[in-house]
Order: sequence, then C-alpha cells, then structure tokens
Amino acid sequence: MTSQRLLNLDDVSFAYEGDAALTHVNMHIDPGQAVAIIGPNGAGKSTMLKGVLGVIPLVAGEMTVFRPKKGRGQSGRIGYLPQDDDIDSEFPITLRQVVMMGRYRRLGWFRFPGADDKQAVADALQVTGLTSRANVRFGTLSGGQQQRGLLARALATKPSLLLLDEPFNALDQPNRDALIDTLNDLKRRGVGILLTTHDLELAREVCDSILLVNGTQVAFGSLDEVLTLENLQEAFQGVQVEVDEHQVVIPGHSH
Amino acid sequence: MSFIEILSQAFTLPFMWRAAALLAGLTLAAGLIGVFVNLRGLEFLSDGLTHAVFPGVAAGFMVAGTGGVLWGAILAAAAATVFLTLLSHRKVTSDAAIAIMLTAMFSIGVIIVSKSHNVASSLEQLLFGHLFTVTTTEVIITLIVCAIAFALVLATLRGQVFAAFDARGAQASGYRPLGLSLVLNIAIACVVVAASIAVGNLLVLAVIIVPGAISRMWTRGLGGLFVGAIIFAVVAATIGLLASFTVSVGANVAIPGGASIAIVFVLGYLLSLAVRAIVPDRSQQLAKRGEQ
Repeated sequence: MTSQRLLNLDDVSFAYEGDAALTHVNMHIDPGQAVAIIGPNGAGKSTMLKGVLGVIPLVAGEMTVFRPKKGRGQSGRIGYLPQDDDIDSEFPITLRQVVMMGRYRRLGWFRFPGADDKQAVADALQVTGLTSRANVRFGTLSGGQQQRGLLARALATKPSLLLLDEPFNALDQPNRDALIDTLNDLKRRGVGILLTTHDLELAREVCDSILLVNGTQVAFGSLDEVLTLENLQEAFQGVQVEVDEHQVVIPGHSH
Repeated sequence: MSFIEILSQAFTLPFMWRAAALLAGLTLAAGLIGVFVNLRGLEFLSDGLTHAVFPGVAAGFMVAGTGGVLWGAILAAAAATVFLTLLSHRKVTSDAAIAIMLTAMFSIGVIIVSKSHNVASSLEQLLFGHLFTVTTTEVIITLIVCAIAFALVLATLRGQVFAAFDARGAQASGYRPLGLSLVLNIAIACVVVAASIAVGNLLVLAVIIVPGAISRMWTRGLGGLFVGAIIFAVVAATIGLLASFTVSVGANVAIPGGASIAIVFVLGYLLSLAVRAIVPDRSQQLAKRGEQ
C-alpha cells in the first residue's frame, strides 16, 4: 500500500552541518491520518518537519513523499506552518497577501491570481476566522492571529499533506478548539497531517499516531502503543510532562 | 533669466535628454530593487558592491581606455556578486563576508590605480558621477543594464517577496533561496553600476536605499510599496536634475548633477520621517479598531 501513502520514511536520518539531527526514523502517513511528533526540546521535532520539506538534507535512509500528478514538484501540495519566530513581522504586507503566498507555487512566476485562487484564500481566511482582518497589515495582528494567518496560508495551498510546527502555541482556548475542529475536518477530506506539539492532550484529540523522538526515533505507532512509561522514560529523562492534567516527572533510566 | 525660462530651456539641450534618459532607467530599476534591499536588509551588501566595482573600473581603463571603464565595472560587480552570495550562504556571517570582500577589492583597486596616472580622471568620474557628460553609448549600455536588473527581479517577484517575508517558508514551498539571492544580488549589482555612471560610486547608496525605505514608512501592503518607491525615485531624480541645471545656469554655480540628486533623495527621506512622526499611522489604527 506504500504507493498510496502520503509520506513514507524508511530508516531516515536528517542532519544539517552538525545542527540538531534526527536519526533512524521509520514512520508513515496515510490519507486522512494525523501524526503528532512528541519529544523534549531539541529532540528534533522541527528538524523532522524541515527534513520532510527538504530544507534539512536527508543523509541516510529512504523517504517517499506523495507527488501530485501535474509535475509541479512535490512541494506544491504540501502546506507548512512555520514557527512564528521565523517571520519578519515588520514586513509591509496585508494578511490577504500573506495567505495568497500559499497559492504562489500554483501560480508560477507570471500568472495573476484567478477566481479559484481568490476563492481558496477567502476559504482559508473563513476557516481560520480571519475574514474581517484580511486587509490589515500582517505585523499589526496579535500573535494568535498571525499564527492563524500562517495556518490560513498553509490551507490556501489546498494541501494533501499538512506540516504544522507547534500549531497550538499562542492560541487561546476558543482558537485551540477551532483549530482542532479544522484539523479533524481536513482529515475527513483525506488530508494527512504531521504536527509537532508539547501537549499530549491536544495530540490525543487530533492524532491517530505518535512519533516519539529524542534525537533519534524512540517509538512510532498508535497512542496506546507509544505512550508507555518505558518509551516516555527513554524520550523524556527527568523532564516534567503533563499527562491527563496531572503533572508527572519522568524518572531517568534505572539501567 | 527667470527660473521658468531656465527650466524651459533645459530640455532643448541634448545632454539634458541623455541625463534624463539615463535617470529614467535608473530610477525605475532602483525603485523596484530598493524595496528588496530594504526588506531583506541588504544595505551593507549594496555598499560592498559599490566598493567592489572600483578595481573593475581601474582595470577596465588600463585594458581598454575610457570605453573599458563601464565593462570593467560590470564584470567586477558580477564577480563580486557571485562571490558574496555564495559566501553569505555559507556559515560565514554575511557582514564578515562583505567586509572581507570590500577591503580586498578596494586594495586591488588601489594597486591598479597606483600603476597609472591616466586612471585618475576616469576614476573621479566614476566615484562622483558624470551625469551631464555621459555619451549616448554609455546611456544605451546603462539602460540595458537597468532593464536587465528590472527584468530579473520582476521575473522572480513572487519568490523574492516570499523569501524576504519568510525564508524558510519560501524554501519549504519549493523556492531555492540561493538562486533567489543570486538573482537579486545581480540585479543590485546592475543598479550599482548604472548609478555609478549617473550619481557616482560614492553616492549610489542614496538612490538604492532611500526609495524603499520611504515607501515602507507609508504602505500597509505590497502593491503600494513598489509603486511608491518607484514614484518617489522618479520624482526625486527629476527634481534633483532640474535643480542642478537651474542653479548651474541661473546662479552660474556649477552643481554636479549626481550630488544634487543624492541630496534630494536624502532630503526626501528626512521630510518623510518628519511627516510620519506627525501623521498618525492608519494601519495601526485599523488594526486596533478590529481588535475591539
């Protein structure tokens, strides 16, 4: 069934000139599935996303990414939400123009946005609840609104695979709930989702599988399979985590 | 003679037409490219390129006389651009790369100059510009160089905007950052060479940096940013050119065209700063109103 998979990684390692690397990853995403990447800070969660995008080089193993038929490159159909701090917030650009960036690759270099592009942008703004803010300068939006604006940009791509780097950060409760609904809706339409998060509770509400990492892959599988004390011990040694609203300190390895 | 009479005379003179043609090409290109210099913070790189052009000028003159000056400048700028772009995409920080480049090229220029006395006058022309004495050939070559710069950035506009806003996001959606930087830096180099002819190597930065910086103060979206920068560049250059002509003819005090234009650009910036400080920012107000 590998041919239908959106993403398949076979013993893959990503590394970039000595920066945070991630090794020996075996995982896959099928249409309509969501996978959460969980691990402590610096474990390679963002590295995983950037590796899939091709921003951080693959140094070992084999990766297959779903390719659209029209030969516009694999990236045309991947939506990506970067972490907020990679963005120049002083940039003179309206929210609508930021969301339109999600259509740039489809437009190519010269074609002007058509009705379907404008519709895709309007839909993405609608879903993220930002329609009324469309003509405001991006940098003047609040942190949460900027985050949703970048999510709208990823959605405007009409992606088959959506990569989200800490999508729940900077969101208040209503926005978190709205995002969870949006993501579940996308899954029903066959979109595959790969996201990083610190919040196991949110992962539980959206994701079917978990990729547990700590510089290398610790485990991949369903939530129950992966979230065992032994796995968590291996991933988070001595780190305090939140499980079902209880604070739990994971003790270090005994052996 | 009144100012009006002097002004009405201005464009009966062929050298004024040559200057105007050169400036038209230069300001269109500088307005567009200046926006990206501003957005990506490439002011220091632009400065590095102006210095790198110097040995090219000297070498061009040594090899082919006056006719070689422009070609020397173009070749040196192209080489410096490729070198700087590659270096800045390595682990060396951009500023260090540019500073190293800048000193290396300048010392090479000084050595070349020291071998010849004839270089001096041509060099002076390039350091301070010779707007009123450009030849038709120079105008044509400069316009071609500007057209290349304009076309390069226009053709890659979407990628350039995306990369300037969010480099990682651009890379993630399939743009190549190195290629985009190279194209943009080549365009900057073209404008540097063209502006060296018009306003002089030492005054190039005003023309490249000011239009983008001013436009950014006043615009909330992308459309106005480019249009504003280009309009400012065209208007300021026209004022500078006519002011220089009027003062030179009317008061009989020769004012170099390049310096006059650079001053108008800088005064425009100061004026814009002052007005911006008084006039409230509508985009901020809009944003606040929406939050309530």
